[in-house]
Amino acid sequence: MRGSWLSILALLGVPFLAASSHASEPLPPSEAAALLQRIADASRRMGYEGVFLFQHDGSVQTLMVSNRPSGGVMESRLITMDGTQREVRCTQQSSVTLMINGTQLRLEKRLNNRHFPDLLPENAAPLANWYSVRLGAPDRVAGRECGNVELTPKDLFRWGYLLCIDRTTSFPLRAVMVNGEGQPLMQYSFGEIRLGALPKADPRPMPPVPDAAKPVANERIVANGLPPGFTRIAAVRRQLPNRSDEVEHWVFSDGLTHVSLFLEPARQPVEAIKGQSKQGMINMIKRQVGGFQATILGEAPWATVESIALGLEEKR
Amino acid sequence: MMMKPATQPLPKAHKDETLSAFLDGELPDEEARQVLRELGKDAGSQTLLWDYIAVGDALRGLHAGTTAPHLTHRVMAALEQEPTVLAPMRQPRDRRVTLWLAAAAITAITWGLWQNLPEQAAPVPMAAKDTPSSTDMQAYLAAHQDFAQAVIAPAEMNFTQVSLAEVRP
Repeated sequence: MRGSWLSILALLGVPFLAASSHASEPLPPSEAAALLQRIADASRRMGYEGVFLFQHDGSVQTLMVSNRPSGGVMESRLITMDGTQREVRCTQQSSVTLMINGTQLRLEKRLNNRHFPDLLPENAAPLANWYSVRLGAPDRVAGRECGNVELTPKDLFRWGYLLCIDRTTSFPLRAVMVNGEGQPLMQYSFGEIRLGALPKADPRPMPPVPDAAKPVANERIVANGLPPGFTRIAAVRRQLPNRSDEVEHWVFSDGLTHVSLFLEPARQPVEAIKGQSKQGMINMIKRQVGGFQATILGEAPWATVESIALGLEEKR
Repeated sequence: MMMKPATQPLPKAHKDETLSAFLDGELPDEEARQVLRELGKDAGSQTLLWDYIAVGDALRGLHAGTTAPHLTHRVMAALEQEPTVLAPMRQPRDRRVTLWLAAAAITAITWGLWQNLPEQAAPVPMAAKDTPSSTDMQAYLAAHQDFAQAVIAPAEMNFTQVSLAEVRP
């Protein structure tokens, strides 16, 4: 192991030392918006193939991910490598989850066609309205030099993020979601990546999956007073897994945070219930709104979920 | 013919490597004693040695006394309490095999480390009665996963009953 200390100093010591002297003033809004857009574009437009680790709520999962942009068409895949075998396949138009259990294959259409590292929305610049963006210390992830970018929310309605973006391409190599105290809630981090590579096209065509979601007709509930920056990005009728009745599924988002609202007829009086995941990353509330049971949940602070829940009213 | 002076300092790269080997306990006794003698006389070598020791301490988590003022520092400090993510070595072989092997290795390592971590957050207390279980809510959590950044099993949730008066601001 001769020279191992030299390697350690080169890999870790330099970033440690550099971190102490790094500036941390927020970027001006225009620069922040431009940087966020560069990060969003890099994860969407670059070809890559790699393995990342996903840590949250006391568990660790390994996933293989690839993206094949070709002639303006994107085809990405996400494959779990431990636990239940699942795969997500996305194109620009649609997204499907494949669940393989022994010889059984179940296909489900997803409402959303994004996954890590495609973290930021296609139009990422408006996020600069809701987040202060600071440049953090240099670091090294998956063998590549990267720089930390801090996204600190300007209000209480979203979690913060710490991204480590590739020095030359702005591709996000690591993303850590943090609470208001800077405590990590979940982390995505590449262990290995081939950036700029064009993965082989999957010979299997995208399986045809019937669209289980239908448009919502005759809306009976209205959502008032959404948190700043949040808009409704989806509203469908769908069947939930292992449930026979259809529910309405609405989704509110600021581009980075997603909160779901499920509406269904209340068959009996609904007691208000608050739920929280182990480390507080997911918050949930169930309450009655007129003749409906409303269940609101998402990877968002309690203030966001509560604000959406309290703004629901039955249409008169 | 010019003789090379016996006292000429060693090239820096050689000095670095010797110090590294010294710290690793890989030098023969006589060479180690020589390094110790030089350390007593050479301020540059002493500084380098302290750098190595500081990095070693940092790796062993012994630098907790410093206060990290900014988000990056705080998050990185907190992440040091989390499992270490090890970047697998690059191998000039079949990429797919390499990726699978790398994934298996980092999962095994991180899972082992994670198992030894203490619980970090106090759970929300469970309500006494008539509160839903995670199972009741799994359908909602599973449907919301359409907007998750990875494919995950629905999270385990803890529930409490609240009155609307408590919910309202």
